[in-house]
Amino acid sequence: MKNIFHTLAFLVFPYIALTIFVVGHSYRFLTDRYHWNSKSSELLDHDSLKYGVILFHWGIIFTFLGHFFGLLTPQPFLDKLGISSGLHEFIALYTGMLFGFMALIGLILILRRRFKNPRIKATSSTNDLVLLVLLVFVVFAGTYNSFFQRYNVLYTIAPWIRSIVTFTPDPDLMREVPWTYKIHILAALTLLAFSPFTRLVHIWSVPVKYSLRPYLSFRRRWQGFHKTFGLEE
Amino acid sequence: MKIKAQIAMVMNLDKCLGCHTCSIPCKQVWTNRRGAEYMWFNNVETKPGIGYPKKWEDQKLHKGGWEASDGKLRLRAGGRAKKFVRIFHNPDLPSLDDYYEPWTYDYEQLTSCPRSQRQPTTRPKSLITGANTDVKWGPNWEDDLAGVNTTGAGDVNFSGLEHEIYLQFKKVFMFYLPRICEHCLNPACVASCPSGALYKRDEDGIVLVDQERCRGWRYCVSGCPYKKVYFNWEAGRSEKCILCYPRIESGLPTLCAHSCVGRIRYMGVLLYDADQIKKAASVVDDRGVYKAHVETLLNPNDPDVIAAAREQGVSESFIIAAEKSPVYKLAVEWGLAFPPHPEFRTLPMVWYVPPLSPLIHEIEKYGSKPDQPDFMRIPIRYLANLLTAGDEAPVRLALNRLMALREFMRSTRVEDQPDSGMLDHVGMTEPVAREMYKLLAIAKYDDRFVIPTTRRADDEDMYRGRGRLGFPRES
Repeated sequence: MKNIFHTLAFLVFPYIALTIFVVGHSYRFLTDRYHWNSKSSELLDHDSLKYGVILFHWGIIFTFLGHFFGLLTPQPFLDKLGISSGLHEFIALYTGMLFGFMALIGLILILRRRFKNPRIKATSSTNDLVLLVLLVFVVFAGTYNSFFQRYNVLYTIAPWIRSIVTFTPDPDLMREVPWTYKIHILAALTLLAFSPFTRLVHIWSVPVKYSLRPYLSFRRRWQGFHKTFGLEE
Repeated sequence: MKIKAQIAMVMNLDKCLGCHTCSIPCKQVWTNRRGAEYMWFNNVETKPGIGYPKKWEDQKLHKGGWEASDGKLRLRAGGRAKKFVRIFHNPDLPSLDDYYEPWTYDYEQLTSCPRSQRQPTTRPKSLITGANTDVKWGPNWEDDLAGVNTTGAGDVNFSGLEHEIYLQFKKVFMFYLPRICEHCLNPACVASCPSGALYKRDEDGIVLVDQERCRGWRYCVSGCPYKKVYFNWEAGRSEKCILCYPRIESGLPTLCAHSCVGRIRYMGVLLYDADQIKKAASVVDDRGVYKAHVETLLNPNDPDVIAAAREQGVSESFIIAAEKSPVYKLAVEWGLAFPPHPEFRTLPMVWYVPPLSPLIHEIEKYGSKPDQPDFMRIPIRYLANLLTAGDEAPVRLALNRLMALREFMRSTRVEDQPDSGMLDHVGMTEPVAREMYKLLAIAKYDDRFVIPTTRRADDEDMYRGRGRLGFPRES
C-alpha cells in the first residue's frame, strides 16, 4: 500500500501537475489574455504594499533561480566547473536560507495586508487567498528545511527531479528523503498545477523585450494584427 | 521628412463655463464600469488648484513626462533598467486617495427605512468595500475654488508669483480647465510601457492601450505627466481616453467636444513631421519646447507638404481636412492656442486658448492701451506657467489679439465704424479678424469640427480584434 502511494506521489502526480501546468498556461494564454496580469493592488493601497511585495518578489526570484539551476544541473557537470558537491551544498543552503526567509517575511506582510486592509480584503477573490496560503505553505516548508533539516539533496531529490524532466522517472530516489522535504515537493507541485489559473501567470510576461524596443511605438490599424494575435508576446 | 497626421483639439478657455457637460457623456459611455468608476477620461478642474489626481502637475512629486537637462531626452522616472528593478512596487504610482474612492449612495434607505422622527438620509458608501465612506476628493473637488485657500499653495503654476496674494479674497481669480488625454506626439506613457501595449495610431495619432497586451505593470499611469492613464483596479489593466475613435472614424467629434454647450472645443487634423519629434522634445531650455513643437507642425497649405504627405500614404480625406483644420489656424497661424505644460516634453496635442478676464480697476489709472492683459485679473505669469513654461510673450500676444478682436468687432457691430487700428498693433488684418470672429464667437458646428472619415470596409475581422483598440471587451 505504501508503495502505491509513493508511486502515485512521486511518479504519477508530478506528471499530472506538469501537464496541467503546460496545458493550462497555453489554454489560458490563448483564450483569456485579457486577464493575463498580476492584478496589482498597488493603486488601492500604495504604501502598505511596499516592503512585503519587494521582499517577497526578490526572495522568490532568487529562490526560484537557485532551485532551477541548482537542482537541474547534474553534479558531475558542476564538478568539472570546479564546484564540488560540498561547495554546491554550502551555497545552496545559505542562499536558500537568506532568500527563502526574505520571501517568507514578504509573504507574511502581504498576507497580513490582504486580511487587514479593507480595500484589499474587499477585492480579494477566493482564488487569491488560496494561492497566497499555498505560497506561504510552500515557502515555509522550504525555508524550514533549509534552517532545520539540512538534508543533502544532491544525490536524492536533485537526480529525481532530473529523472522526471528527462522522462526517465525513478521514484525510488525519493525513498529515504525526510517527510518535510516530501511535503515541500508535493505542495510545490500543487502550486505549479494551480498557477495557470491564478494571477501568477504574470511571471511569464517578464517584459524582457522592453529593453530592446524603441520608446515610441506606432501601429497602423490592422498592421501587426496577425503578429499579435499569435502566440507571440 | 516623415509626415504623419494627428487628430488634435483646441479648447477656448475664454468660453468655458465649467458646466461639466463634457464629462457626463464621456463618463456614461466609457467609464461607468466596475473598476473604472474613479476614472474620468474628461474632467473639468478649476484653476488655481491642485486638481485630480492631487498635484498632477507637480513632476517633482509624480515624476511624469520627460526631462532633457543636458539635451538628452530621458524619462523623468528613469529608464528601462530602473523600471525593471522597481517593477514590483512603483514608488511613483499615485494612490487611489489621490483621485478618490468611488462611492454611491444607499438610495434604498429613502424608501425602506422605518417611520421615524427624522428625515431619512443617504450616506455615501464605498463602491470598493461597501462600507460607509467619507468623500474627501474628486475630479472637480476644488470646483469654483472650493478649499483652494488651503490647497492652492500646492499649485505649481504660481511659480514666480506670490500665491498668498492671489489666494486672498480681493485678488482671487479663477478659470476652468477641462482635461482629456493629450494624445501626445512624444507620449511618455507609450515609452514607459514595459509590455509595449500602449501605441500611437499611425493614421490619426490617437494613443491607445492594447487591452489584450496590457499586463498591468502600471508605469504608464505614473509616466503620464497629465495623469490621464488610469489603472482599472478590478481588471488589473490600464485604460485611457480613446478620443472616441469610433466617432472620429465616422467623421464625428468626440462626445466631450460634441456636447460642449459653450462651444469651446475645436477638432481637426494637423500634419506633423515625425522626424522632428525627438529634436523638439530634447530642446534644453524649457521655454524653447513650445516653439520647437510648433515647428514640427507642417503647413497644410504648402503644396510641397501636401505632395509629400500624399506620397507617404496619408489618406486624401485627411489631407483635405488638414487644409481646413480649425486647429491649425488657432494653434499655428494665429498663435492663439498653446500646449499645456510644454516643459513635460511629451508634445501634447490638446491645446488651450488662454482665457481673458476682467480688467482690474488700476486700468483707470494707467489708461487702456496697449498692454491690457497685464492688468487682467488672471496674472499672465500664471497662464504662461500653465501654457508656455513661463514664457509670457506668446501668451500676452494671444490675449492682446483676443482683446483687439473684441475692440474691432465692437467698433464694427456696435459703433458701426470699423476701426482696424488696434489690429495692426498685434499683427492682424481685417479679414483675419473676421475669420477669427466667425470661428471663435459664432463657432458653427461645421467650422469647429473638420474631421475626416476613415475607410474601414477593408478591415480584417473586427470581431477578433476586440480589445486591441483601447477599449476592453466584456469581461
